Amino acid sequence: MNAYFTRCTLLILVLCFGVRANAQQFLIPDELILQHAGSIGYVSAGAGYKLFNNERGNLDLLYGYVPKSKGGTLHIITAKFAYKPFVINVNKLGKIYPFNPGLFFTYTAHPDLQLKFSKDNWPKGYYYWSEAIRPHLSFSNELELTKPRFIKAAGLKSLSVYSEFNSNEWYLVNYFQNVPEVSVKDVFKLGIGVRMRF
Amino acid sequence: MSVQPKNDTLKFILSGDTQRSYKEIPGFIEKVNSLDKVDFILVAGDITEFGSSKEMEGYATRMKKMRVPVITVIGNHDLTGRGSASYVRMFGDLNFSFIFKGTKFICHDTNSREYKYNGQVPDLNWLAQELKPTAGVKGYISVGHVPPLSEDFDQKLVPQYKAQFENTQGFVAALYGHTHTYLTSEPGDRFNYLVTGSVENKEFIIVTVINNKITHERVFY
Repeated sequence: MNAYFTRCTLLILVLCFGVRANAQQFLIPDELILQHAGSIGYVSAGAGYKLFNNERGNLDLLYGYVPKSKGGTLHIITAKFAYKPFVINVNKLGKIYPFNPGLFFTYTAHPDLQLKFSKDNWPKGYYYWSEAIRPHLSFSNELELTKPRFIKAAGLKSLSVYSEFNSNEWYLVNYFQNVPEVSVKDVFKLGIGVRMRF
Repeated sequence: MSVQPKNDTLKFILSGDTQRSYKEIPGFIEKVNSLDKVDFILVAGDITEFGSSKEMEGYATRMKKMRVPVITVIGNHDLTGRGSASYVRMFGDLNFSFIFKGTKFICHDTNSREYKYNGQVPDLNWLAQELKPTAGVKGYISVGHVPPLSEDFDQKLVPQYKAQFENTQGFVAALYGHTHTYLTSEPGDRFNYLVTGSVENKEFIIVTVINNKITHERVFY
């Protein structure tokens, strides 16, 4: 954990003082993201980066919170990558991205969740997963509003609303071993969110 | 829970280790529901693979189709992650007991490895209290997940653990899961135990107890 903090501190110092202006520019997020549910927190907020020249890729970094009343208290860090292969132009509104596959990783900080099962206590392979880190597969759809007047009036380049379905390796293992007793809708979870581009 | 004895015959199901085996559960339920005069079903732990509440809900939703009550004991897989808290929320205490037709069923956490063999699991003090002579109780049956013959059970505690049962007047048998394979004590063993095959292997045991004499039958479906 100490090594982790040292690295984070170094990274922040490098970002603040060590890099040229255009590199710093590169690190400024393109979007502000707010999400509800979807396996990354009851509520989550974070920064989005547009990837590639066509801006069809997304890299999102989010912090999520689950209050006690919703099964917490949990703090969750999420890194998402997704790509938008299809686009539909909509007059007077903007664009629809109907099917965007992606993958993301969550890290949940909680005293009961170990990064990995200690070899001192469990033989190798006894449990084969991490309690704290979950890999997820996702697909989302997004409506990106660029044309309505209120977008500009609000000082935005665009405002997107999206829904994202995801499953993780636990649920997928249970699904594939038990088709059709366990159905697809049993193992996918839904989140909804907004993206604001300034 | 206490029920006045109408007759002396107890008949119940011992099963365990449903884990990832959701598609085996409907066949299990159908078979049990086709049997006559079953009092209840004991599931000796590992109702999940990953200790998630979603798995516990998947298990509970399916098991509601059983015609008789289902009693679920904690397994080692159920304790991973935040499973312990989820189990307590959905099923209650990790150690609990109930009296049925004059027999006391002592359900307890035997998953020592998950507590890094801290010497507290199984809780021998709690067991000693539960095994004390009680008015209206003529027999004792214990139910756990990890059997004492497994390395996952704290071997330091085994002699005292077994002795506590062996020295109890009216001790009938100790029941377990975990190994996924059927096992039982040799005739004449003072520590009378029974381990059920798993739901994954489509096996369970029908246990019959008459006047503290236990017999059992393996069932495949």
